Parts: sequence; structure tokens; C-alpha cells
Amino acid sequence: MQVEARIIRAVLPELGKLFALSVKEEDYSDHFPDIDDPDFKEAWIEGLKQEAKDDRNALARLLKSPRFKYGRVEVKEDEVEDLLRGLTEIRFTIRKTSLKKLSDEELETGLADIPTKNPEVQIGFFAYLLMAEVQERLIQEIS
Amino acid sequence: MVFDIVSSTLSSPLLEEKTELDEQLGTPWKVIVLNDPVNLMNYVVMVFKKVFGYNDTKATKHMMEVHEQGKSVLWVGEREQAENYAYQLQRWRLQTILEKDD
Repeated sequence: MQVEARIIRAVLPELGKLFALSVKEEDYSDHFPDIDDPDFKEAWIEGLKQEAKDDRNALARLLKSPRFKYGRVEVKEDEVEDLLRGLTEIRFTIRKTSLKKLSDEELETGLADIPTKNPEVQIGFFAYLLMAEVQERLIQEIS
Repeated sequence: MVFDIVSSTLSSPLLEEKTELDEQLGTPWKVIVLNDPVNLMNYVVMVFKKVFGYNDTKATKHMMEVHEQGKSVLWVGEREQAENYAYQLQRWRLQTILEKDD
């Protein structure tokens, strides 16, 4: 990975907290299509919740891996898709929490003036980029 | 009383049922993906390829539509299949909605 190991070690504690937060605040209620069918809605949301567990487990294994703090990503081939989704979920959590004060444009263009932001935003931003970097590399590997 | 049964305006449960059924079965539904600031472009392309079996060119075209226009219609067709696609896309955390193709 093209990320300095000391940056990874600096953001890992925050990633642990954000991971816990993403589990606590999971909410799929706005994911259901606009269809008036309560039973179907319940099944839809429950399905997404159940399947998200595998994604989080794959991400948890990465974050707990002793080698990850040195920049090594090790993932079983049959867990790559789970991990990709897990990474996306935690990036959404970071977006909604640590980076909530940044505009979409700042985030998409990467032009946010991070050095002037408070430490929470700075660490959140590096965590966000780190997770994106892992995703990029995983996608390259499987393409 | 004399009336023409064909042009009767009296409601018929059977006719209403058929109309509703026709609507459910016949009206195409659109699977629409909305833009978000989080998902990476190559991630979105990868998901479109996996879910719809699109080639790289078509998946990239839809991704660019999402990015530049805020949304893209990925698929139009029968409701059940549209729901299936929407579920898969949401599984990948893409913001997806369904709309009737009126």
C-alpha cells in the first residue's frame, strides 16, 4: 500500500471507534423502495442487515490483523467482496460523523483544506482516505 | 331500464382486479442509481459489471451519468426483477430507487 505505516497506526484507534459506531447506528429503513408493503419492507431491511454482518466481519478481520498496521492487507479470495462492502459502509459512517462538516464537493474533489481543520476532521479524513486506498487496491487486484 | 353493458360505467370488481393486475405485471419499473460523494468511481463501475453483467464501456457510461447528472437509469423492466436488482445494488451500498416507467 502507498500509505505510510505511521499514518495507519495513527488512525487505527479511530477506525475502531467508527467501526463500533457503524454497527450501533446501522439503519436501512430508508433503503426500501417506495412500495406500500410492510411485510416486504421488513424482509428487505432484515435481509440487508443480515448480509451486512459478513461485510463487517471481513472488515473487522482486516482492522484486527497484526500486519495491517504495517500496511499489509491480507484477505481471503472469497471475502474480497464482503470486505469491499464493509469498507464502503465505514466510509459512509466516517462521512456522516467525523467529516460531516465537509461539503460533498470538498470530499469528491479532495480539495478540503485539511491542515486547517480540527484534529477530529483530520484523523477522520485520513481514515477515510486509507479505507478508499484499500478499496482501490482490492479492485485493482480482482480486475 | 335499457343500457349497453359494454359502455356501462358501473364498476366491476373483476375488471378492476384485472386492471390492477395488468398494472402490476405490465408497467415497467426503472432501477435508478443516485450519486453519492462516498463511493469510488471504479467501485461503482465494478458493481454495475457484477450486478448487470455490463461490459466495461457500458458500466463506465452509467457511472459517468450518475457522477455528472446525479442519477442514471440502469435497467427498465418487470417489477420483480427490478426489485431484485435494487436489492443487490443496495447490498453494495449504492443509493438505489425504483420508479414506475410511466
